[in-house]
Amino acid sequence: MFDFRFVVWTLCTLTIKCKPSPVNLSSKQHSLSINSSTISVGIVANPVSARDIRRVIANATSLQVSDRANIVMCVLAAVRACGVKRVLMMPENGGIRSLLKRGLQREQKLCDNRFPELEMTDTQISGTVDDTFAATQAMVDSGVKAIVVLGGDGTHRAVAKVCGQVPIAGISTGTNNAFPEHREPTITGLAVGLAATGRIPESVAFTLNKLLCVKINDGERSDIALVDVVVSTERYIGARALWRTDNLREIFVTFADPEVIGMSAIAGLLEPVSRNDFGGLHVLLDDPEVTENLLQVPIAPGLISTVGVQSWQQLEPGIPFTLRQSSGIIALDGERELEFGPEDTVQVTLYEKAFRTVNVGACMRHTGQHRLLVGAPLELLAT
Amino acid sequence: MSDNPFPLSRDELLNIYQTMRTIREFEERVHVEFSRGDIPGFVHLYAGEEASATGIMTHLRKDDRIASTHRGHGHCIAKGVDVKGMMAEIFGKKTGVCGGKGGSMHIADLDKGMMGANGILGAGAPLACGAALAAKYRDKGDIAISFVGDGASNQGTFLESLNLASIWNLPVVFVVENNGYAEATSVDWAVACDSYVDRASGFGMPGVTVDGTDFFAVYEAAGEIIRRAREGGGPSLLECKMIRFFGHFEGDMQTYRAEGEVDDIRAKRDCLKSFSKTVTAAGVLSQEDLEACDMDVLSLIEEAVSSALAAELPIEADLLTDVYVNY
Amino acid sequence: MARTISFKEAINEALDQEMTRDPSVIVMGEDSIGGTGSPGEDDAWGGPMGVTKGLYGKHGNQIMDTPLSESAYVGAAIGAAACGMRPVAELMFIDFMGVCFDQIYNQAAKFKYMFGGKAETPVVIRTMVGAGINAAAQHSQMLTAIFTHIPGLKVVCPSNPYDAKGLLIQSIRDNDPVIFCEHKSLYGVEGEVSEESYVIPFAEANVMRDGGDVTIVAYGMMVGKAMDAAETLAKEGVECDVIDLRTLSPIDMETVLESVENTGRLVVVDEANPRCSIATDVSAQVAQQAFKSLKAQIEMVTAPHTPVPFASTLEDLYIPSNDSVAIAVRKTL
Repeated sequence: MFDFRFVVWTLCTLTIKCKPSPVNLSSKQHSLSINSSTISVGIVANPVSARDIRRVIANATSLQVSDRANIVMCVLAAVRACGVKRVLMMPENGGIRSLLKRGLQREQKLCDNRFPELEMTDTQISGTVDDTFAATQAMVDSGVKAIVVLGGDGTHRAVAKVCGQVPIAGISTGTNNAFPEHREPTITGLAVGLAATGRIPESVAFTLNKLLCVKINDGERSDIALVDVVVSTERYIGARALWRTDNLREIFVTFADPEVIGMSAIAGLLEPVSRNDFGGLHVLLDDPEVTENLLQVPIAPGLISTVGVQSWQQLEPGIPFTLRQSSGIIALDGERELEFGPEDTVQVTLYEKAFRTVNVGACMRHTGQHRLLVGAPLELLAT
Repeated sequence: MSDNPFPLSRDELLNIYQTMRTIREFEERVHVEFSRGDIPGFVHLYAGEEASATGIMTHLRKDDRIASTHRGHGHCIAKGVDVKGMMAEIFGKKTGVCGGKGGSMHIADLDKGMMGANGILGAGAPLACGAALAAKYRDKGDIAISFVGDGASNQGTFLESLNLASIWNLPVVFVVENNGYAEATSVDWAVACDSYVDRASGFGMPGVTVDGTDFFAVYEAAGEIIRRAREGGGPSLLECKMIRFFGHFEGDMQTYRAEGEVDDIRAKRDCLKSFSKTVTAAGVLSQEDLEACDMDVLSLIEEAVSSALAAELPIEADLLTDVYVNY
Repeated sequence: MARTISFKEAINEALDQEMTRDPSVIVMGEDSIGGTGSPGEDDAWGGPMGVTKGLYGKHGNQIMDTPLSESAYVGAAIGAAACGMRPVAELMFIDFMGVCFDQIYNQAAKFKYMFGGKAETPVVIRTMVGAGINAAAQHSQMLTAIFTHIPGLKVVCPSNPYDAKGLLIQSIRDNDPVIFCEHKSLYGVEGEVSEESYVIPFAEANVMRDGGDVTIVAYGMMVGKAMDAAETLAKEGVECDVIDLRTLSPIDMETVLESVENTGRLVVVDEANPRCSIATDVSAQVAQQAFKSLKAQIEMVTAPHTPVPFASTLEDLYIPSNDSVAIAVRKTL
């Protein structure tokens, strides 16, 4: 449907790009009319991330449930301000939803329109990662434009497994947060809201990300990782979180950021590779007792450990790497997940452009440059 | 090929299996005997929760103390209390570990560091703080464990104990055995902030949540927490998320549970089944090893029941003994 | 060597001597040191009435301040006792027993019995009792009867400095849980107390006065009232036996019965409220066991069935007086 407001907006934008001029804040609001039935956004908030053993063996902090609920409230307010009417959320019994209910009820009594309609996905609550899978699938099926994730690397990985092409926006509330950004949630909410309502071109709003795929025996068992696949000589899953560094032998990363903690920091401190760079990194490690090549790595909050480094090389996308290690444990994004023995063939492959994330920084820069929020509050879109 | 990937030896793993199996068979048998009408009073069964008691107790030494809940049989067995003595106590016989004077809810053996099951929920937490205080004075790295249920974690005694343990830096570990139900009331309703870990932070100590039906997860997490306490790192809270197979007490029809819920958890979340699967898949123990163990356990339980049934009841003279050391 | 010290000092001395003798004797309470974590003096208070002052300097790691958390720290004292220590925990006012009573009566009192004899809980809970300083309803009660009622607990209530020291040392050495009641209005009272360590055994009432006409039984602050009444009555030609019970559980009924069998007349003086008290307990036991010796009804002199009032005029009426004891004695004649 053609709408003259679109023309005005485009002209204004073009004008601003060509010639900086004083801003007239009383100018028409830059709203786009989108032909969609219900724009909605999904939220997956994990109530139990950051409650693992690293709270005891390292100095991991844990975000209280009430703080997580507050983060969700910030995101809700922000997406509502961008015109998103409906938010679909994963139900849980960890306390977030009951706090939200209380907060939203209070708002309703005050007749405030700061928040969108909040609905829970009609999925089971088992208190396990299955809830995340089920809820994410339900959100994808219902056509959400984006999914906001509150959790650590593990939670983001679970969502990414199921979200398909729906872009995700991460907010870190876990222990290991190599994947999601550390950012003010209100801003993440604004970026998601503006992107979801189509006010920001997809080429700006969304980034394509790499991921790692682990296949055991040609797919008999398989799983993914968003940041790192770590192979350890340890042989059992136990309490899942990985923190002992003396038995790490191989690490594959999608990106190697020296500014994050966790296993990927091993790669990041050897050869930084950004999220946008081609390929990843594959590092071979040794027992630090027997090698001279050592590296000091911030492996967990407050915990700087020593690893032994043998060598590293670029990890090319699309090419399966067979593991050197004959048996051990594979940790995905910092959590022990898969055991394998000498009878198993394990392959790790890097894929590019595998899933989408909301590029919050780019969205907000675009918003500022194009003055998308100049004007009256944005209308709710769709009925 | 059976090289051992676990941080426990084959014999230790067999012992652990035996402990968990003993708890399971003990509780299942008590359930049967109770329904026959020979067991007086109240009984609260631990079946389904074995991985928690065993995963934690495997780290304990003789001089470490534990304060238990009303659901104490599992803690007793894992701490090494004599099974026959326990069965006799539950039947109220003179040969019981408490001479028939305590019963299931007060079952204890201080010689084994088991400071008692407690009929008052939450009452064990301050007692465990006391045991930890005494351990601190002994200065040998001993610790104390306070077991509470999800419901008792709302008691003032528990919350006060968290505070006291933190300010005195006591070597005590608070274990919240969260099986989702406080009697008939769901934990989701009863616990504000829905998180024991957040409560722990509120009282100045770290909290860790672990799957209480996974022996190895409990074992590893408990190991680190207990080591921290022994080394002067102070108290921590460990939440074991688990399930109980039976009702709050024997006779509880569990109408507050969803239909099929118990059958479902027995099928899908049985900690003994998952332990067996893990150790046999790794080739460390064989199915035959486990079955042989099962047989031994069943005959131990059988013996415990028959000797309990045959044992004498306490007599009138026993009524007045042990009120005081001397009066 | 005896010298004159106060009731409060006698208690301090008992604690000091026992802490020196036995490192497993640990003292804890709210402000027992007073000042932990605060920038001013260490040992700023030494207890709310200064009873434990000076102990911190001598026995540093054997005394600790507790948070405002009776069920936790009284429970911890009990747990530590069950693990081989000999803690002396202060429950500041007996009126506060409500917040920690479970640990005392369901745990400490019952361990030995419930656990078939294996447990020993040598804990002492020192606590202030009684009225007389306008501390009003929630800080002035005499709740000894509630503890006396519980099998497994021992209850001690000295009336003078000499008894206070000996009974406290005995309480600390005793292997059962003891509730050691210190009357707050007696702290300043002075008396002869030996320097050296000594014990007074439990269940040994003290015959303060021999008379032969009437038996007056009392404990705590009421002993003084009974003695004063006895003096007044002596001028009227009535000679009273005055018996200080000293310990309420175990109780020395033998001494009481012996006296009543001789006098035939009993007056029991009890600062507590009248229902289900030490007074009714002693009266009932005497009525049952010495009925034939009684020549008159048993009289009880107690507080009224009310909370402790605040105003001086009312509090003076609340606490049994010498006169009311004398009046009661005369009723039996």
